[in-house]
Amino acid sequence: MIWEPLKLSLLVVTVATAIIATLGLALGLLLAKGRFRGQELLASFFTLPLVLPPTVSGYYLIVLLGRHGLIGEPLYNLTGWSIAFTWQAAVIAAVVLALPLMVLSARAAIESVNPQFEIASYTLGKSWLATFFLITLPLARRGILAGIVLSFTRALGEFGATFMLAGNIPGRTQTMPLAIYEAVISGEDKRAQVLALILTGISVGAVYLTSKLTKGAIRY
Amino acid sequence: MAFDAAGGITILFGQSGSGKTTTLRTIAGIITPDSGRISIGEEVYFDAARGTNLSIQKRRVGYVFQDYALFPHMTAAQNIAYGIKDKDVPGPPRRERAQAMLRLFKIEHVANRYPQNMSGGEQQRTALARALASDPAVVLLDEPLSAVDGETRARLIDEVVAVQDRVKIPFIYVTHNVDEAIRLGTQIVVLHEGGVKQIGRPGEVFRP
Repeated sequence: MIWEPLKLSLLVVTVATAIIATLGLALGLLLAKGRFRGQELLASFFTLPLVLPPTVSGYYLIVLLGRHGLIGEPLYNLTGWSIAFTWQAAVIAAVVLALPLMVLSARAAIESVNPQFEIASYTLGKSWLATFFLITLPLARRGILAGIVLSFTRALGEFGATFMLAGNIPGRTQTMPLAIYEAVISGEDKRAQVLALILTGISVGAVYLTSKLTKGAIRY
Repeated sequence: MAFDAAGGITILFGQSGSGKTTTLRTIAGIITPDSGRISIGEEVYFDAARGTNLSIQKRRVGYVFQDYALFPHMTAAQNIAYGIKDKDVPGPPRRERAQAMLRLFKIEHVANRYPQNMSGGEQQRTALARALASDPAVVLLDEPLSAVDGETRARLIDEVVAVQDRVKIPFIYVTHNVDEAIRLGTQIVVLHEGGVKQIGRPGEVFRP
């Protein structure tokens, strides 16, 4: 079966990327423009999943959201619903692991916009928010798009933390990377091959797109 | 540091490091001084004693930056229209007001061009048009002709004088160029190491 993991991956990655794009952009903006104490500590915290082994991140997610987790237990007691082993858990794992890429890219892109343009916008009467949407965002567009593509790819390939928090349930949480793992260990070579090819194709396309977006970044 | 700028063009003159650009940025609200008072007519923009500090947006200041800071993703017409507030324009819509500016500065031919495709002189005129279109109470110019060659510079100096004479809004013009100061200035404020050294008319300040 190719269709089921493909459909699941598409669902998980679409929802995850939507969350990552908005959250990552907001955080990138905060870190780029903020001048508050503990700023770099906050930045480090959000970058952590990038360097932590994915299974360690998965472990912490379980500690937090598992059936007996810090948040998971009260949630279960309140609603009778546990997030572990659901597709929503796969989304959370993907978001946590891929968000750092978006935050880093967005921050760098926003910081690369010459502040002179933003100041000019203020002298022309535009508010901080209007300036962000009219000036900063359009000028940082390419770097931000590259960040979205990169985090999309990372979310698509998420394995370790997903396996731990969402499990490997076919039709429910078995995304493509998990399906490949399953296919290999059960000797279904054909299936593994096709899935691997699809993921490779998407990843190559994403890398190419990213390089086109960030190459020749116009220096204003 | 204290000076008044009435009508005409007030030149802030001095060498690099004398505080000319800093003064401009302070008037605009980009920098907040430790003490002092900045007011335009009846409106107080800054008063350290009373804790008044109007944001950049609330101050009616038109600013022409040294490198013009024209938005690279907008055409000349869009740049000029950017600062025009819809509610301030009773009759003709923003586009027509921007068109009028383009005509006044004789840059209609670059209306749909992007800053990268304009000459230095065209950029300078667009920057000044943009600042004026936002209906300022004062226009601040930070060495706007430093990147322009001699021939175009002479022409643009005359244009700046003509524009100021027509709009009757006080200009505060920063330069370290004596020639510009003499030709443009109604009043010269000589700055040195962050303080005012002399204030007077060009004839008094620059005695041969």
